[in-house]
Amino acid sequence: MTGNGLYGPYYDAMTHIMTYMTEQIEAYGKAYEAEKGEKLYEHLEYRIKSEDSMTEKLDRQNLEKTAYNALRVITDSIGIRIVCLFIDDVYENIRRIKSLPRCRVILEKDYIQQAKPNGYRSYHMILDVETEEADAEGNTPGHYYAEIQLRTIAMDTWAALEHELKYKKKIANQELIIQELRRCANELAACDVSMQTLKRIIREGE
Amino acid sequence: MKILFAEDETDLREVVTAYLEYQGYQVAAVSNGREAVEKARTDAYDTIVMDVMMPEMDGITAMRFIREAGNTTPAIFLTAKAEISDRVEGLDAGADDYLTKPFSMEELSARIRALGRRKREYKTRILSFGNMELDTETSEIRALNTIGLAHKEVRLLSCLLGNTERDMSAEDLIREVWTNEPADPDTVWMYISFLRAKLQSIQANVTIDGDRNKPFRLREI
Repeated sequence: MTGNGLYGPYYDAMTHIMTYMTEQIEAYGKAYEAEKGEKLYEHLEYRIKSEDSMTEKLDRQNLEKTAYNALRVITDSIGIRIVCLFIDDVYENIRRIKSLPRCRVILEKDYIQQAKPNGYRSYHMILDVETEEADAEGNTPGHYYAEIQLRTIAMDTWAALEHELKYKKKIANQELIIQELRRCANELAACDVSMQTLKRIIREGE
Repeated sequence: MKILFAEDETDLREVVTAYLEYQGYQVAAVSNGREAVEKARTDAYDTIVMDVMMPEMDGITAMRFIREAGNTTPAIFLTAKAEISDRVEGLDAGADDYLTKPFSMEELSARIRALGRRKREYKTRILSFGNMELDTETSEIRALNTIGLAHKEVRLLSCLLGNTERDMSAEDLIREVWTNEPADPDTVWMYISFLRAKLQSIQANVTIDGDRNKPFRLREI
């Protein structure tokens, strides 16, 4: 893949950064588990955005198909998703990510505190990660963006169904389905909050 | 069952109070409309029984004040005049029923029981406080975010919303929200905790004051 396609010579550096990030996250996750005896996150997903979807995204935003645009204008070429059992765990992960070496937070969006109008809930972070390798602006050490999404299992389930809806062209009763999906999002959020509250009450009673 | 009873004629007030107490009700008896408004503001009742013609403040004006404060306690008017306009005005001011004097004690007591049965149906769809709205139809609360409420949480929050100017003890809340169901102060505490977390999650500028063994009240932050 190196040297070819949209990402050109930067593809290797991207995979190195993704590996670096996931290793860092797994490391603090293991340390937390060793200390507290419970997982800080349920699972971890990561991907480099396929060149096809990146090309589509550049087209949608009327951007020329260059490595610079794909890596320095678009910010989700490297994507990591952390799925947690409880809401408090999401925020604990965020605290730990903020103190990772070589990472700087560029942008944070808390769609848990303030859900999108359709009911979508997640915490989004865009990080600038430094590497010894060159970047698409010709700098060494280079800088690459990585997008991290954090959410609970309930939010993840919801997002999976909403994703399916987004890519369907024609659906019967679309309005009704959107409305019911929004209701489900609010009910799932209610469960997340109640489960967290119960967990705290159980802990207090110990 | 607690009854607020407003009647300026001393003899009638004493007789009715004695009868209702004999029936097992707790009665707070006052002699004019102004005192009734004050009592309704500072204490929670299950039913209000009020004379129309009273000095200081008449029953209809008092009823309007009570309803404007968001209090939805069922109310019965006692009217001396048999005039239709009087009854219409009383019902429009927010009373749920009326009795024309002279009335029988048995009938008053039966009407109080009947109102108690209907109490649940007396509600508005959207209740608001601070930047928070409770939609009792969809069982959701909204501020900067929206979240669903369980059935009991809706009842509990509605009750607190109807009593923002007084402290509600766990016993008050059990009586209003868990009527005929097993509940103890621990149940109340758990549901207060659920509501607090949910109010926070929608970033409402509203919180619930109080603690285990301390009474509760909604407060704007």
